[in-house]
Amino acid sequence: MPVRRLAFSTLAALLAGTVLSFSASATEYPLQLHNCGHTLKFDKAPASVVTIGQAGTEMLYALGLGDKVAGTSLWFNAVQPRFKAVNDKVPRLADNDPSFESVIGKRPALVVSQFEWMVGKEGVVGTREQFHDLRIATYAMPSDCEGKNNLSGSDGTRTAAYDAHALYKSVQQLAQIFDVEARGKALVNELTQRQAKAVAELKSSKLQNVSAALWFSSADLAIDPYMAGQKGVAGYMLQTLGLRNIVTSAEEWPTVGWETIALANPSILIIARMDRRRFPADDYQKKLEFLKKDPVTQHMDAVKNNRIVIVDADALQGSIRMVDGMEQIAQAALRLQGAAR
Amino acid sequence: MSAPAALQAREIGWGTRGTRIVERVSLEVQPGEMLGLIGPNGSGKSTVLRLLSGILAPTTGEVLLAGQSLRALPRRALARQLAFVSQMADTQDAIDVWDAVELGRTPWLSALQPLSAEDGRIVRAALAAVGLEHKQRSAWSTLSGGERQRVHIARALAQQPGVLLLDEPTNHLDIHQQLSLMQLVRGLPITKVVALHDLNQALACDRLAVMRAGQLVAHGTPQQILTPALLQDVFKVQVSELVDPQDGALVLRFKPL
Amino acid sequence: MLRLILLSTAALAVLAVAVQLGVAVGETRLSPTVVYQVLANQLAGAQYPVDPIDQGIVWNYRLARALVAASCGAGLAISGVILQSLLRNALAEPYLLGISAGASTGAVLVSVAGLGAGAISMTTGAFFGAVCAFALVALLAHAAGSGGLRNSAQIVLAGIAGSQLFNALTSLIITKSGSAEQARGIMFWLLGNLSGVRWGDTLLTAGVAVAGIAVCAWHARALDAFTFGSESAAALGVPVRRVQLVLLLVAALITAVMVSIVGAIGFVGLVIPHAARFMVGVRHRRLIPASALMGAVFLIAADVISRTLIPGQVLPIGVITALVGAPVFAGILLKGRGGRA
Repeated sequence: MPVRRLAFSTLAALLAGTVLSFSASATEYPLQLHNCGHTLKFDKAPASVVTIGQAGTEMLYALGLGDKVAGTSLWFNAVQPRFKAVNDKVPRLADNDPSFESVIGKRPALVVSQFEWMVGKEGVVGTREQFHDLRIATYAMPSDCEGKNNLSGSDGTRTAAYDAHALYKSVQQLAQIFDVEARGKALVNELTQRQAKAVAELKSSKLQNVSAALWFSSADLAIDPYMAGQKGVAGYMLQTLGLRNIVTSAEEWPTVGWETIALANPSILIIARMDRRRFPADDYQKKLEFLKKDPVTQHMDAVKNNRIVIVDADALQGSIRMVDGMEQIAQAALRLQGAAR
Repeated sequence: MSAPAALQAREIGWGTRGTRIVERVSLEVQPGEMLGLIGPNGSGKSTVLRLLSGILAPTTGEVLLAGQSLRALPRRALARQLAFVSQMADTQDAIDVWDAVELGRTPWLSALQPLSAEDGRIVRAALAAVGLEHKQRSAWSTLSGGERQRVHIARALAQQPGVLLLDEPTNHLDIHQQLSLMQLVRGLPITKVVALHDLNQALACDRLAVMRAGQLVAHGTPQQILTPALLQDVFKVQVSELVDPQDGALVLRFKPL
Repeated sequence: MLRLILLSTAALAVLAVAVQLGVAVGETRLSPTVVYQVLANQLAGAQYPVDPIDQGIVWNYRLARALVAASCGAGLAISGVILQSLLRNALAEPYLLGISAGASTGAVLVSVAGLGAGAISMTTGAFFGAVCAFALVALLAHAAGSGGLRNSAQIVLAGIAGSQLFNALTSLIITKSGSAEQARGIMFWLLGNLSGVRWGDTLLTAGVAVAGIAVCAWHARALDAFTFGSESAAALGVPVRRVQLVLLLVAALITAVMVSIVGAIGFVGLVIPHAARFMVGVRHRRLIPASALMGAVFLIAADVISRTLIPGQVLPIGVITALVGAPVFAGILLKGRGGRA
């Protein structure tokens, strides 16, 4: 439909345009950047970088900067297959949070941190000042500090809703720092186009404005689940796709009782699939089993009519995988609609 | 000596962590008599009393109650024949006098059996014997030291024992309480073994047993035992025997060596 | 006899009212009519048309939870009675024996350190942790004393040592391998959480509570005999060692089961026996059933409050019991010696 194509291109252009208002030429040094309350100054592209947080790691790989990564840490799941070869050559400092000394031991010029609770005012690894004192620059990914107060709430409370804008800004800024702006622009283009496509497809279908809830996992199988809140990354994805999140909390991953979810009765239920097996509910099969067996959830519309969408958990973070997630949700939702007909 | 001793210890000994606290003590308590157990601090009086009561099991020797070894006697049966009042049994619970004395019926009642009218009568009698009927419903915390000891004795009496063992019952009591308590104990028609600190109180006993460093060093009537030689040896005091001109009673006056 | 029947009926009536309250009030609003209809359907075979979700919520979620709350409250209360009477210590409570700390360690080993890889539930881990901790504490107390439980101070100190050890282990595991999400899940569990209970749990907790009350009631006279100390009890013909062993084991088992299912809920075992003593006196024939009843009602009320105090959010129930319990505890301390009547 021509209307659809038009909507799609407009959206793509709008999205790309807001981000790419910078020139995409070679970086001019000395470079000055504002990043989460600090001013960063670069005389040249950093020779090496240590990452804390998988999102930053994979973003650098996607920008073709794998050879500059001196160490990685804080992994949530296996590296994306297309980056495996590059990643194998990079030393992994820790699966979880690294120690301050192990990071500076690699003598990086830059540290890229995904979360403020890793490197920040109450950073587990250290404060930004600690690194700056040693002449190591720190880059905090905007998705975790803009519009979010990480000093309250266990995952931080979003004061403003998450916006993919922050994601693209990270790509853009990192590309600028490392003098690979062209690659950065290409990456942003690709991501925004894919996102716009997913949104447009869903918008034109009958599933627009349908209610949904996203179940990440639960500390114990029958206990209150971690659901996507309004303002977090997952909430943003639902909203952008035109789905109405029945969870009203502003927290990123609030615990909501099954009672509340069942009574709200969302039309679609999205559940996360992951490799991690820390909680029994991590396994999406167990999630499905629970939904079908529990005396309350089995009567939910979404469960009775099998309107359950499965999405990869790693795609629910503020990383480049977020777009994968949106595509997955959109495609699965469309399939549901197709099956319903 | 045809009647068996009410309570008999045969070469009993007890020790802990390598130290012998009581060693090879043998004594007999005749039915109906009041035996005083005296000795300096640390001589093992309390331990002997506990061994006699069955609360502690002797590591050597045995204790016989009316000819039966304590080892062979089940706890409840023992508690129906023998009652023990320890030195400073206290509680923080808000228990009243009646309930505290009623505890004495424990060895006579099974787990779920409620108190019968007969049990109530026995408790009342015990309270009367110690003169605390009027304080039946008083709370424990409101009682004086002397009254508390009397409640313990009433509880022991409610057990209807044939033998009563008391560990220094007049410690920490005012003088008038000491006197009335000892008078009460002396008047009880059962066999009594009392560990004593006050040697003048010991005079009123039928017989005495003297402990020193865990061993029994003398056994006999107060006249036989409380000689200057023994008192000097065991208690490290000099004694003068005096007679009270009012009633001719013997009084002991102690002086340092 | 008549009096006994009347009292029992009155007690059951109070309990029934409390359970009703727990069923009628929850995180979402259900009209009293619906609640009544569901109960009538299930219990009296009535044929009211009720939404199956409402039915599930009232019957499977709320009723099961109210009954578990009642059982746990009763069980923890009589464990407190046992410990306070045997140890002759007004401030003794089930957690003194290191049971709750051990349960936390077990739960954390499963959910944070990943022991069992999702095959063991937190409940099972918690139970074994509780049992291990209690065994350790008992061994320590036994070794410290001259082979007997004569010295209650030794048990208390051994319990404190055990608690500290296991709490430290719990902290170690959380800080070493925990992410913010896991830490949150564990924190919720550590503070007590009735959200995940279903009918299976009800059978277990109710069974344990009833059995525990029965054993306690059987030993009521023996417990009375401990009023003036264990020596006095021995003099009254009570088999002191055997009674101490049996009752301590019962208290430990009850606590371990309850804690493993609903997490560490404090102050119930401490405060309820005191409140019960205040109302019915110190004789165990009355104290035990009174404590059980008051504990049951208290925990149901605490659960209701935890769900309704902040709209849309469920507070950990341990927070509520602590908020009520701590001031009462302070009151007990201040009242001092001999003033408990």
